[in-house]
Formats: sequence, structure tokens, C-alpha cells
Amino acid sequence: MSLSMPLLWVVLPFVVAAASFAFLNKRILGIVITAITAFGLSLLAILFPEDLTLSIGPVQLVFTESLAILGRQITIAYEILPFISFIFAVTGLWSLNSGTPSIPEIFRPISLMITALLTAAMGVEPFLYAALFIQAAVLVSVPILSPVTKKTNPGILRYLTLQTLALPLILLAGWLLTGVETLPPDSPKVAQTTIVLGLGFALWLGIFPFHTWVPMVGEDSQPAIMIYLMTLFPTTILTFSLNFFDRYTFLRTSENLYIILGTMGALMVIFGGVWTMFQDNLKRAFGFAALAETGFSLLALSLLPQGGARWMLMLFPVRALGFWLWGYALTQIEKYADSLTISSVIGLARRYPLLSSGLILAQLSIAGLPILAAFPIKINLLTAVAGTNQTIGTLAFIGNLGLFLFTLRLAANLVSPKNKDVSHRWSISEKRFEYIPLLIVILLLVILGLFPHTIFAKITDTLTAFTQLQ
Amino acid sequence: MSILSTLAFVLIVITAMVILIFRDWRINTLALAVQYLAAFALVTLSWPLGMAVVKVITGWMATAAIALTCLRQYPTETATEPNASMFFRGLSGLLVIMVIFVISPSLQENLFPSIDLVIVQGGLMMIGMALMQLGSSAEPYLTIISLLSLMGGFEVIHAGLERSTLLTGLLVIVNLGLALVGVFFIIKSGDKEKQTLIEEEVK
Repeated sequence: MSLSMPLLWVVLPFVVAAASFAFLNKRILGIVITAITAFGLSLLAILFPEDLTLSIGPVQLVFTESLAILGRQITIAYEILPFISFIFAVTGLWSLNSGTPSIPEIFRPISLMITALLTAAMGVEPFLYAALFIQAAVLVSVPILSPVTKKTNPGILRYLTLQTLALPLILLAGWLLTGVETLPPDSPKVAQTTIVLGLGFALWLGIFPFHTWVPMVGEDSQPAIMIYLMTLFPTTILTFSLNFFDRYTFLRTSENLYIILGTMGALMVIFGGVWTMFQDNLKRAFGFAALAETGFSLLALSLLPQGGARWMLMLFPVRALGFWLWGYALTQIEKYADSLTISSVIGLARRYPLLSSGLILAQLSIAGLPILAAFPIKINLLTAVAGTNQTIGTLAFIGNLGLFLFTLRLAANLVSPKNKDVSHRWSISEKRFEYIPLLIVILLLVILGLFPHTIFAKITDTLTAFTQLQ
Repeated sequence: MSILSTLAFVLIVITAMVILIFRDWRINTLALAVQYLAAFALVTLSWPLGMAVVKVITGWMATAAIALTCLRQYPTETATEPNASMFFRGLSGLLVIMVIFVISPSLQENLFPSIDLVIVQGGLMMIGMALMQLGSSAEPYLTIISLLSLMGGFEVIHAGLERSTLLTGLLVIVNLGLALVGVFFIIKSGDKEKQTLIEEEVK
């Protein structure tokens, strides 16, 4: 029996998501179905045999990589499967965290749809049509970011507008790129194409000055949803961007482009870091920290000739875990605090020490504290950046301190007593089901920090899909 | 330049100005529907009629979805605002028209030599006016109308560059998706307003 791989990783999650809409009010069933689908597909992607043949008892399923659709193809190459496994695992993890009443019921089916659309984006041929799938994923994400019960935030409109503006630019760049390969590097057309393409990516990734929606949406939306989207979208877009470097020599060999990427990366890190430091709203602080993380990815991209793509890919899973812990802790804390501002969480650690520690450790892990997951990758990255350009390296280092300082400020407020006249005893008020997932992820972050090349190193196999970048 | 394409271009300029100046949903949705018809006329210069008609049908479907939702949510509401704001938007619209007339010949010559000037001008006019609208309003339904107009303008130009069934299909999905998001926003804002009215009556 012959099947195609896009049926598994694009069509199936869509069908499951559509079916899930039928029992939206059955929370547990929804979580189970979404988690099984997402983790199942993630596991299948990582264990999929190279000969694309699955044997289940007497039945032999032979898979083909492509699915023809309206004269074009969606191709899920074997080489891209580690990345697909990663995005489905992220969706699975977040679906486990979706039982909280503050997360809308439609989050689960929509998260599956978004993952399926982003998978299709990674595989569509011609690859520039990916922009349309990403746009579809953006449109699908609006109802979960801005639930019916809440007033429409201007940040959501800005998010929708800026993401939609990226679509024409990427498609136009795709058309311009067709003739550029044969032109000399100093041709004005090469510069025009690079500018159009760069603008498209800047809009997608929320790069300065198109970043304003990130903290606005972060402040207004449910933290878990925002963090989930800020994990999935930039990750997929950055991986998609490798296609351009892989296919177009003029981009791969342009030293100026790497300088621009490095400068923009350092600006994002310093901008995001410094703004994080001064935030009072914990959700808004996440928005700025996410911008700084995009900056780190850009810094990794600026080191593409020195193997920066490997660092960029290795940062994805540790960032995803850190973000998950951050989102999980915020979602739980939101239940116990009046609001997610620093003044509202004063003394919270005395009643909820495990949740508070989870939040602090998540931020420290993202910031790159030694023995936590991001440290080995970030230290290598910063060293390499400083080796190439000292100014950019120093700026990135200073920017990264912003999240550290914010975390210290938050920790000081979490542990100080709310009312100075009344003595508050320390107690563990969290329920077991609340802190067990937290402890597991913290343990995982420590293991990853100590042995960075163990669990998630396979994601770097994604690079085999980009033959020129290995 | 045929009479049809000139007429289509003039219609695009008028409808884009109307969308920019007025805030009444009835006027705006009508203008958007006419704008899609004009855009269709420009697309027929690059594509066969059978394929170009997809654009106008999709556009009208999107417009109908928004108009019917507005009709349900604000059946009696009419937008009132000072003449000065309308005048200011009119002036900014004129500025956009001038800029587009100035830049489109060189843009067509350098970037899109294979496309007629009228197509480039028509597409840029829709894009330019939509961008101006996006910068001057934070109303959800106006944002969606502007995004639909912007996508329409891009599609007019892109039709001259590439012809792909999959791309057309995906753009249909994006346009209808945008319209559905618009419907979602309008329902939200309408329900909120109704809720506030009920709460005030109860008080």
C-alpha cells in the first residue's frame, strides 16, 4: 500500500483538528486527542525509517515524499523530519498545558491546524508559496489570541496587519529571485531583491521597527497562547529562511548581508533585553524577551559560514522548553495572583515556592545561566560573535544581561513579604499535579545544560535538507 | 491602454478614495465590491477570463461576508464625524495618488517591464491607499477592508508576473480567511457594544 508523507503530517492533523471541534466542551478528551496526535506524529517523524517503508505486522506501508496538489507539490523530505518532529512535540507539550480554564477550548484544534499549516509551509514546492501557508496559520491564530469574550486589542490588529504585509513582499521577492542568480553581485536588482526579501522577513519575525505588536499582544493575550505562538512561528520562519541561503549563492556569499544580520541581531538582543529589564507586567516582559531571542537567532544566522545554522537549530528545543516552563508557570500563577504585574506577585514565593522557582528558572535558562539548557549554546554563540565583531558581541552580551536583571528584580519581589508588618511563613501550597510537570521540565533543562549534545542534538540533522549549508 | 483598463483604473482611484475618506460600512463595502470588479478588469489583461473571474468572486464573497455581518451587528448605526477629518483624509489620499503617479512609471520600467503601466498603477493605487488607511484607523472592520484592498492590489500586479492554480487557490483561502477574521472582529465589537447598552439599561 502506498501513501504520501504529507497525508500523515499535514492532512491527518487537520482532520483530527476538524473532528476535535465536535467535542470542544469535553476538555480531557480534547487534551488526550491533541496530545496523542501531536506526540504520535512527533515520535513517528523521529523514528521514521529512511527507506520510507513502515511495516505493521503483515501490512507494509510504502511512503512517498510528495503529494500533488493543483499542479504543484507538497514534499515532506526525510531530511526535514527532525524539525517536523520538533514542532509537533511543541504542540503536544502545550496541549498538555491547555487544561487551564483561562485557555480557550479552541486552542487545541487550532494548535494542531497551525502545526499542520507550518509543516505544509516547510514542504510546499515552489518553496516561496510557504508564505501563503504561514499567512493561513497567522489567520487561524487570531481567534485564540483574541478570544470572543475580550475586546479587540490594537496589538492584534497590528499583528495581523504586519504579518499580512509580509506575504506580498515574500511572493514578490520570489519572483524577483528568479532572474537574479545570473546577474553580477553589484547589480541594483540584487540589492532590490535582498531589500524586499529582508523586509518580508523583518515583518514576519517582528524585527525592529516592526516589533511593536509583540509586547502589546503579549500583555493582552493568555500567556500560554502567546508563548506557544512565539515558539512556533519564529522557529519555522527562521528554518524556512535557510532555504534562501541554501538556494541562492549571492545571499550565501554576501558579506554585507551577514554584517546586517549581525547588527540587527545585536540590536534586537540589546533592545529586547533592556526593555525586559524595565517591565512591570510579566506578560509584556515575555514579549520583549522573545524579541531578544529572535535577536540571538539572527546572530546565529550571521555566522552561517562558521556553522551558525547549527547553533540556531540547537537553540530551538532549549528555548521551546524554557518558554514552555515560563508559560506554564505564568498560567498557574495567574490563577493565584490578582494580575501578572510585579506588584501583584510580591510575596507569592512564600505561598507558591515551586511555581515561583519554575518561573525564575525558566527565565534564567532562557537568559543562559550556567548549568541550564541554553548556556552551552549561548556561550559558544556569543564567543563566536565576539570573535567576528567585538562591538556586536559586546552589545549582545549587554543585552542578554537585561533578562538576568529582570529575573533578579522579579525574584526579589517574589520572596519579599507582601505586608512588612505581618510575618508570612513559607509553605508549599501548590497541588501535586501542578508542580510535577514543572519539576520534570526543570530536570530536563539541567540535563540539557550539563549534556547539551544528548537529547535534542538530532534537530541539527535538519541541516541535511540544506545541502549547501552543512 | 484600452478604454476598459482606463475605466477600471479610474474606478480603482475613486473607490480607494471613498474607502479612505468615509467611515460608513455601507459605503465602504459597496466601494470594495466595485473595486474588486475594477481589479478583475485589470487582471483579465494578464489572465484568461476563466481564471481571472476567481478574483472577483472571492472578493465579492469576502465583501458580502463583511457587509452581512455589519448589517446584523450595526443595522441602524451611521458613522458621524467632523468634516475636517474627512477633508484631511481626502488630502492624504490625493497625496498618495500623486506619489503613485510619480513613482509608477520608473517602477514599471525597472521592476516590472513585462506588465502594462496601467496594471502597475492600478495595483499600486490599491496598495498605497490601503496602507494610508491602515495608518489612519484602528477600527477592526476598516483594518480588514484595507488588508483586503491591499491584497487585491498585490494580486493585480502579481497576476502579470505569475500564473499558478495553486497560488490562486491559496490566495483565495487567504482572502476568505481575512474576511472571516473581519467577521470575527465585527461580531466581537458588536456584542461588546450590545452588552454595554444592556448593562446601561439595567442600571
